Amino acid sequence: MAANIFKKTIVNINKHKRKYLFALVSFLIILPFVVENQYVLHIAVLSLMYMLLASSLNVIVGYTGQYNIGHVAFYAIGAYTAAIVATKFEINFLIVILLSGIVASIFSLGLGLPTLRLRGIFFAFTTLGFAEITRLTILNWRSLTRGPFGIPGIPVPELFGISLSSNIHFYFMIFILLVLMLLMTYRIKNSRVGRAWISIREDEEASASMGVDTFKYKIMNLMYGTFWAGVGGAFFAYFAGYISADSFILDESFRFFAMVLVGGTGTLSGPILGGALLTILPQLFRSFARYQMIIYGLAILFIIHYKPEGLLGGRTFKADINDANEN
Amino acid sequence: MIGFYLSQLFNGITQGSIYALMAIGYSLIFGTLGLVTFAYGDIVVFGVFIGYYFYAILGLNLILSMVLALPITFLFGILVEKVCYEKFRKKARMLMLITTVGFGIFLRSASQIIFGTGNRSIPTLIEGKIEIGNLNILYIQLAIIVFTLIFIYALRYFLNHTRTGIGIRALSMDQDAAKLVGVNVDTSIKFGHSLGVVLGVFGGIMLGSFYNAISPMMGPNLGLKAFTAVVLGGITSIPGAVVGGYILGIMENLAVAVFSSGYRDVVAFVILIIVLVVKPSGLFGKKVKF
Repeated sequence: MAANIFKKTIVNINKHKRKYLFALVSFLIILPFVVENQYVLHIAVLSLMYMLLASSLNVIVGYTGQYNIGHVAFYAIGAYTAAIVATKFEINFLIVILLSGIVASIFSLGLGLPTLRLRGIFFAFTTLGFAEITRLTILNWRSLTRGPFGIPGIPVPELFGISLSSNIHFYFMIFILLVLMLLMTYRIKNSRVGRAWISIREDEEASASMGVDTFKYKIMNLMYGTFWAGVGGAFFAYFAGYISADSFILDESFRFFAMVLVGGTGTLSGPILGGALLTILPQLFRSFARYQMIIYGLAILFIIHYKPEGLLGGRTFKADINDANEN
Repeated sequence: MIGFYLSQLFNGITQGSIYALMAIGYSLIFGTLGLVTFAYGDIVVFGVFIGYYFYAILGLNLILSMVLALPITFLFGILVEKVCYEKFRKKARMLMLITTVGFGIFLRSASQIIFGTGNRSIPTLIEGKIEIGNLNILYIQLAIIVFTLIFIYALRYFLNHTRTGIGIRALSMDQDAAKLVGVNVDTSIKFGHSLGVVLGVFGGIMLGSFYNAISPMMGPNLGLKAFTAVVLGGITSIPGAVVGGYILGIMENLAVAVFSSGYRDVVAFVILIIVLVVKPSGLFGKKVKF
């Protein structure tokens, strides 16, 4: 029964996409003016940030089907780039955010070149390792990152002489970033590049035989996705004002991963739903904050068992029995 | 100075034995399921904690409680197989991969709730040491090395000379053909998977008693190391896994001796990248398609 109602809702949403989109966007714009409670606003900013990060991971996991489970590394690199640059030089925050994205993207190029030639599983494991190495390097490279002490005192961003320090400012900052990201991804998804990405996900060999340079497109895809992770990290650095290696543990990576899977891989709307759901839901269990991760683990297990394409649909998983036999 | 390097080398061999055990377990799981798992490290840590709790809560003898933990983890392995793999055997393999990620997160956070987040100390199984010049060799190190060798030979015998073992090997070569010649696929998969888990837990117990510490957060790191050892040796080859484990253990300890201990865990990753770039099939593996 419940499943039936849910199905109808999804169909309904898909039918009247524009109306719902309009309603959602207006809701999100009005929200910060109506809500007075700073805590709720804080959660709203975090939700939007996680939506951005989940969307950036979705570009890699959902469109090209490369299982990046160390996404937190690029988020961390973005955050640290922003923190280091912003505390040492006086540069406009917009440039810093852009720079952070680019730096994260360059690191992903370094990781992608040796590993993306191989099939998914190796890539998945190396990203996991990379996340751990990034965290360890942050902890050990004290002259640059101050190691376990973290970087405090990241300056408040300023635009046209106004300092953007309240939750509402940050809310709109991340809202604009998210919209920008979604618009760009939407355009790319429906372009030649996006179709190449999806063809790689569906069948890499067939796609290569159709003349798609799969390696090149996978690298592009990884760099584009990690660029936004870096941007998200830079935003986090400004928003929090203080960052340390504790914010970038592996669990964070799994959090993004769960958001993408629960929402629906390979859809624009999936990570939005997943990001919102899995940021707000654990708040209900706030008193058990240390154990929040159990929710993410269970969410992944349930979704794969009962609705592997995610709540809002997306890619379907084709059986590859023939592959298995060739091992 | 030579003594220092020698003792680091010996530490490396000890640790290599542990990694070798875990790598064999990993390789067995890979052979039976045709798939890598991300939950391995967490399952291993969970098993070690079961043993620890027999010791700490029930007050049983340390060695007895560790031995008791093994059959329990065997059963636990069957449960894991049911939750993570059974439903997805004939479906896209990426689904299995994702369930192992989910299960790993679940198990790790559940362990944190049950066992606490901090380090727990396990006393050394066997006390005492031998001194040769300025080289100290602990009895536990010798025990680990000997136990590992016994385990490896027992496993070899099992895989080559018993019906179940041959069934598991047949399965890892060709699942459908194995079915045709009368191998019970379901049982063999469950058995192979659980055996892999038990080997890993045994290695984990050795590791815990060598370092005198375990924590639920060790999981992903152990999994990564087992995976690195397996990839280094060639992913389908069990002798390869042993060699890979030893090389990894020795390299790690020499790196600690030369650089600093903060970078211990970086070694595995660097080795992994180098192998993937230079020879993705590993030292002894045949070409594998993923």
